[in-house]
Formats: sequence, C-alpha cells, structure tokens
Amino acid sequence: RLSLVGTPKRNIQLSNIVEEVLFNGNSSLAESNRTNTPRRSRKINSTYDEDFICDEPKTPKRQKTSTSTPSSKSSAMTPTQKMKLIRSGAISAAIESRDNPLKRRKSDFEVARERLHVSAVPQSLPCREQEFDNIYTFLEGKLQDQCGGCMYVSGVPGTGKTATVTGVIRALKRDAELDIVPEFDYIEINGMRLTEPRQAYVQIYKQLTGKTVSWEHAHALLEKRFTTPGPRRQTTILLVDELDILCNRRQDVVYSLLDWPTKSTARLVVVTIANTMDLPERMLMSKVTSRLGLTRLTFQPYSHKQLQEIVTARLSGSEAFKGDAVQLVARKVAAVSGDARRALDICRRATEIAEETTKDKTVSMMHVQKALNEMIATLKVQAIKKCSKLEKLFLQAVAAEVARTGIEETTFLGVYTQLESIAAFMGVTVPVLGRALQICSKLGAERLLICEHSRTDIFMKILLNVSSDDIYFALQLKNN
Amino acid sequence: MPVAGDEIETTRKFLKDRLQRDFITFRGHEEEWENIRGLLRRTVETGESNSVLIIGPRGSGKSKLISSVLYSLLSEKDFYKNALIVHLNGLIHTDDRIALKAATVQMKLENAVEGKVFGSFAENLSFLLACLKSGDKSKSKSVVFILEEFDMFCAHHNQTLLYNLFDVSQSAQTPICVLGITCRLDVVELLEKRVKSRFSHRQVFLSPSGDDFNERVELFKELMRLPTEKELRALEPRSINLVDLNSSLCFLRNIFEPKNYKFSKTHVEKWNKHIESLASSVAVKTVLEYLYDIDVTEVFFKNFLYRLVSKLNPDHSELTVDDISKVASVYNTDGKVLLLNGLSVLELCLIIAIKHHSTIYDRDPFNFEIILGRFNKFAKTSTSMQGVERAVILKAYEHLKNLEIISPISGGAAKVQKEFQMNKLMLTYGQIDQAVAKYPALPTEVAQWAQSSIA
Repeated sequence: RLSLVGTPKRNIQLSNIVEEVLFNGNSSLAESNRTNTPRRSRKINSTYDEDFICDEPKTPKRQKTSTSTPSSKSSAMTPTQKMKLIRSGAISAAIESRDNPLKRRKSDFEVARERLHVSAVPQSLPCREQEFDNIYTFLEGKLQDQCGGCMYVSGVPGTGKTATVTGVIRALKRDAELDIVPEFDYIEINGMRLTEPRQAYVQIYKQLTGKTVSWEHAHALLEKRFTTPGPRRQTTILLVDELDILCNRRQDVVYSLLDWPTKSTARLVVVTIANTMDLPERMLMSKVTSRLGLTRLTFQPYSHKQLQEIVTARLSGSEAFKGDAVQLVARKVAAVSGDARRALDICRRATEIAEETTKDKTVSMMHVQKALNEMIATLKVQAIKKCSKLEKLFLQAVAAEVARTGIEETTFLGVYTQLESIAAFMGVTVPVLGRALQICSKLGAERLLICEHSRTDIFMKILLNVSSDDIYFALQLKNN
Repeated sequence: MPVAGDEIETTRKFLKDRLQRDFITFRGHEEEWENIRGLLRRTVETGESNSVLIIGPRGSGKSKLISSVLYSLLSEKDFYKNALIVHLNGLIHTDDRIALKAATVQMKLENAVEGKVFGSFAENLSFLLACLKSGDKSKSKSVVFILEEFDMFCAHHNQTLLYNLFDVSQSAQTPICVLGITCRLDVVELLEKRVKSRFSHRQVFLSPSGDDFNERVELFKELMRLPTEKELRALEPRSINLVDLNSSLCFLRNIFEPKNYKFSKTHVEKWNKHIESLASSVAVKTVLEYLYDIDVTEVFFKNFLYRLVSKLNPDHSELTVDDISKVASVYNTDGKVLLLNGLSVLELCLIIAIKHHSTIYDRDPFNFEIILGRFNKFAKTSTSMQGVERAVILKAYEHLKNLEIISPISGGAAKVQKEFQMNKLMLTYGQIDQAVAKYPALPTEVAQWAQSSIA
C-alpha cells in the first residue's frame, strides 16, 4: 500500500480522488480513472476499492452497525461489530479495575517516594521559568493574532521539554477559560507512539473527531479541514513529540504538518520537540527546514544546582532526605547527563534502601552512595569476579593473546594455545577444545567477549569487550 | 525384593522430577529476591510504576527468580486480584506487532476475543496506549510486564514497544512494572537515548558466586537427598489454582509437586545416609570441584545430576563413586576425537596428509590435488594403501568436507572445480595426534607415517 504513492504529485492526486469518492459519490471516479494511464488507474482502483468497502455507507455491512446503537453493548456482539464500535470511538478504551482500592495510610518514606516518582509532575517546573515564558509568549501571541506558526524545541532527554510545553498548554487552557486568551483546540502526537510516520494523520484526526480511519482518508480530511476556510474556526495547537521519528526518506508527513500552518485558513500552531539541536539542518529537506522557521528553543541539561533544586522542590515539607545526600545525587548525575529522571530515580532507590536497612527516618549519604553504586555501576568487573575458574583462565588467555600479537582481534586457535600454556602453568587440567568453545560462547553471550558464530570453530575471531586492566583488576582482587 | 525395587524407581522419578520441573525453589541471592519482590509488591499495593533489568549469565536463575517471586506473591489474594501479568519472550515475540498482540490478549482488552486480536498493528498500539492511559493509580489494576530475552526487544524497529512501556512507567497512567531479563551485560547501551532516559536504571545483577566450592557440595546434598516425612508434611501444596488467577502463567503450570511422592522411613534414612557418605568422600569432591571449575551455574550441575540419577535402577540401587566419575568424564571428552575415531583408515590417512601439509606450510589452505599428491607419495610405498582409485579418495575427501573437518575458505562461493577448491583444516594437531593414538586397529604404517611427514 505504501508503494502506491510514488511521488508527491501522485499523492495529491490520490487524496483528491479519495476525497471525491467520499464527498461526491462515486460517479466521477470512473471517468477520472479512464483519463489516466491504464496502469495507474488500476492502482487507484484498488485503493478506491478498499476505501469503498470500509467507508461507503451503502454497503450492507456498514448498515448493520449504524442501526445497532452503542448502548446495546451486549456480550453477543461479534468481534467485527466490536471493532467497528472501537473505530467509531463508541467503545472507550479501558483497563480492568482493581478489586479493592489502594490503602490510604502512608509512611514518610512512601510519601517521599510518591513525590519523587517521575510521573508526579509538579504544577510549576523549577528552573525552567525562562523557557516557560518563552513558549508561553510565543503561543499566546499566535493565539491572539489568530495566525499559524511553528516552533522547534530541542534538548537532551530528561531536561523537561515535554513537561514545560504541556505546562504552558495547561496555563493557556486556564487563561482561555478566564477569557484572557481566545479558545483553542489542543492536539498532541508522539512519533514513538506511531507504528509509521503516516499514522500521524490518523492520530490527529482521531483527536479531532474520535474516529479511526485509514491514513489516506485521514490525510484527505485533514487537508480539507486546513486548506478550506471555515467560519468560526478555532486556533489549533499541535504538539509533535519525537519529530525525528516522523522523518522518513520522503518526508511527506513532516512536510504536510509544517505546511498547514503556512495556509492562512488553517490557524494551526505546531510545536515540535526533538533531541538534537541541529535536526532541521541535518535531517530535513531544505523546504521543510524553511517552513520550520527560526523560532527555536534549546533546553540545556540541568546543572547540579538545578537538579538539587528540583529534588528539594519535590520533597518540600518532608524531612526524609538529608541535604548533602541530595547534593551528592545532583552532582553525580549532572556530571554524567543532567537528566532529571535519572536523579529522581536514584533518590527513589535511596529511599527504598533506607527503608530496608535502617529504622531511621531519613536518607543519609550512605544510602545514596549505595543507590548510586547500583545504578551507575558497571557490571563487568563484578561479572568477571563471579566467573568460573576456567572462564577466568579463558579471559586471561584472550588478554595474553592480545598482548602477544598486539592486535585486538584474536582467533580461537591462538587463544586456545595460550589457554593450554596458562593452564599448564597453573596446574589445571586443560579443557578439551569443545568445552573451551562452549566457555567462549558463554562469555560471548554475556558480552565479556565479542565473538563470531561458533560455526567458524577454531578460526572464530574473538574481541575482548572489557579492558585487560579490568580482567587484571578483577582477578587480582580475588587473590588477596 | 520387589518392594525395594519400587522404592528405587520412585526415588529416581522423584529426583528427576525435582531436577527438571522445580521452577520455584530459588536458592541464594536473598537480597535480590527481596528487592524484586518488594518492587512487584509496591507496584501492586501502592500503584507505583517501576522498571528493572535483571542481568546475569545464562543459567544463573533469572527466570527462576521471577517465577519464584511471583509464586510467593500470587499465593496472596491481595496481589493476584489486583495484578495483570503479561509475559513476553524476545525469541517468540520477534517483532512489536506480535508482541503487541500477545500483550493485548494477555491483558484481555476489548479488541481481543478469545485469543484473537482484531485490527491492524497501528490500531492495536493506539488502543493499548489508550487503555493504559485511561487507567490511573488508585482504580485500575497494575500490569506486570515480564520481557524475557530483553536484548531481542532492543533490536525491534525504533524500539517502539520499549519506549511506550517505559514511557507509561514514567507517567501518571496505569501502574505498570517492566521487568527485563537478559544475559547481556551491556544491554543498557543497546537502548536508544530517549528509551534509556525513561528507563529507571535499576539493574539487578544475578550471578552464581564462583569461588565458594562448599556451596556446591551443599547443593549436591540438597538436590540428591529425599525429604523426610516431617519435611513433606511441612510443605504446602505448591500448585496454585490457576483458574482462580485470571491469567495463565506458563511457568506455574505443571510444576513439581513433592506431595505426590511417598517413601518408607527406612528407605529415606538409608538413602540420605548414602548421599551424606558420598558427599564427604574425597573422590566425589574432586569430581565436583572439576565440574565447578568448568561452570558454576546450577543448570549445568543439574544436567550432570540428571545423568547421574538416570543410572539408578532396581539392580543398581546405589550410586557409587565410579558412577560419578564416569558421568563426569563425559564432560572432558572431545567430540571431534570421537568423530575421527569413527572414520575409515583412508579418511584418516587424508587427515594425516592434511596435517603434514599444514605443519610444513604453517596452516596454508590446501586443495584436493595437493593432498592427493601427498597421500600418493605415502600410498606408493605402503603395502595396504596401494591401488586405491582416485574417485574413492575424492569421495573420502568429500566426506571430510561434509563432516566439517575441513571447510572451504571464503564460503566456497566462487565457481571452482571441487578438486581445486581451497580448504582449511578445522582441527588442532593435538586432536589428530589423539585420534591416531586412540584409533582401533590402525595399520602400523599409518601410525608411523603420522609420526613424521617423511614417508
């Protein structure tokens, strides 16, 4: 179905035809087909047929559902009927509910943990006031002027991009209720929640009307909505998260998402979020970059002071954490990534450790240190220490072979020779070749080594995935 | 005495059953066990969302840890009434489409009818996300996602499923807990940066300790001894009524049930005494230590014990030290040498010729003509190998190739005649020497030729 749409030109044609079919009945289609080349007409016919089946109101199948009201949701409903109700939005998605509600009373640690959970987004984000103002002024201006526009927000993960934008939207909604700004519609899509870029149309249309339709149909309808002037049309704010996923090779989806705001009839404001700062220049075509405009905002990673502020803001009023414990987390995380999620998760883990180990009511440095070790630790040294004797010998043999040849890539044959001599030196029985291969692939599965498929047998190429210092260190510690 | 024979049969059955199907007895790693249990418990009780990765070498009991924790939790009504368990495996659910369908079925969502999921992949994803979004902390059931072979999920397109699961666990939606199980140590590096940021970086490293041999002896005793009447009585019935739980958990189906077995008191005493005496003997300890040096995982050891237990029968009612060392000797036999001993003398002669070529030219590749020349030089002077036809030798050469004793270099894609195709030897010289030494009724000429390349 994807291959039907070869070039943008044909895409437009196709969507026009689909629209015609949908809105003007099918009489014009047969004629327009005949004017086309035979091959293309066949293709269009097939798309048309599919759409015909699922969307033409006259088919008997369809009629059945239109007569059955959603209220008669009985157990006797066939899956097809149910699916139709789901597509029309009559059945709301729901998950099974609990047998008994949650218990109410909570300890100090539990309260702290709940507040520290990443999902508990505070009303106002600390340390992001400036970015908040920036986005707020942009969106408010667009709403007041009743025109369309684009904005590009970037920053590494966990720096509060989506939280800030949704916070701005919430503030604007509140203001709209107080009649400070005009009313507006809000739609959000996320590139990672789509199975392919074109599903963006489906999701946007679904949020506008609640119906699920095919992407061609959704695209046609959205095109119609945004390109034809409609009286009393509200401004729509569209938040596009994970923009880079929507960029396929043809970039038709990003193009139409960014092209609609340029239409005076659309009144669409698009806010796009992605990680890399130079995404428009690096990945997008120049016409798309041009439409994206130069209104950009970059979220810097949090510094250790900001991280500390974020954590203390969340813990406000609770005495569960010691001040220097928070500082340690903030400093350690800021040095690595400046990711707020990481800091909050580590704090949460620290409360768990504190709860398990001490009767104390506060989280001290010691607990935080343990949590940090758990969550930023490298497992490799630990893993080598826990290997069996022959596995350790094998690792030593690989390291020795690397040292001997001076090349990082070794072959199994060379390693096995080294293993034989090391084993003889240590007074251990040498494992037979098959056993050594087994040990090798076991270490390969753990990724202490990187090795080829064992089909290559004694000519298997082996790379050491840990530094030889790590091996030396891990084995040295054991001896003491 | 037929009664004693029966006892031995039951003992064997019991031991085998325990070795194979006991999915819920977890030994050691109390701290990790408590950690995971606490995590799951908090997910269900307080509606907290979490994600954790369990990392450990193959055979270190990762899945067993999960099933053991779940078993202990599922016996509490409070837990299983409020939890949905979704079990996915990277080897079965090879892409997001299949995984999503499986998850939809296991969560019993609206668009799944009796195990069949309706709608396209995109619809399924958006419906599942809508369902998870519709839930909230205090009202909806907690979902526990168990992802086995987690590293395989990282290879899926865009890591869509992982992103969405971790995203739900980091936002105020249905409380979920994502448990990833993998043997790769560097699995976190496989995650995309946004997925990595959403993952809570809890890692539980599970590894059998490789330097405490006494534990192994204890394990030997524990796995081999029979429970006394008193111990049997103390055990609770282990199978949970799965109909009662609204999920079909594969790992709790058909598990080992010690209550089904009955032994006479005298037999249990006698057997346990026998096991004690075995465990304290030095010879057995040496064997066990040898196995412990190879591999420290419980699975490997259980495999050994299973072979050992299989030796029991009414005529052979007690295990001896000899049995143990015989079974252990399997772990130090080279399969390739056995294979070489099964070859014909002609094929062995070809291998010797290949070995001579390889020693002289330092493992240079060879083809049939080179080897034939070298072989003929020997055959001319020998008494037994004269008059072997070229076609027969070629056949033998082909046979070696099919056994992968020799294998073509560069995959053999080039269109070269088979006599001229270059091959390499897939054996070490040591293996060939061993094979020659062990070969039954090898002509002396060949044995001598194998000693030196000068025919």
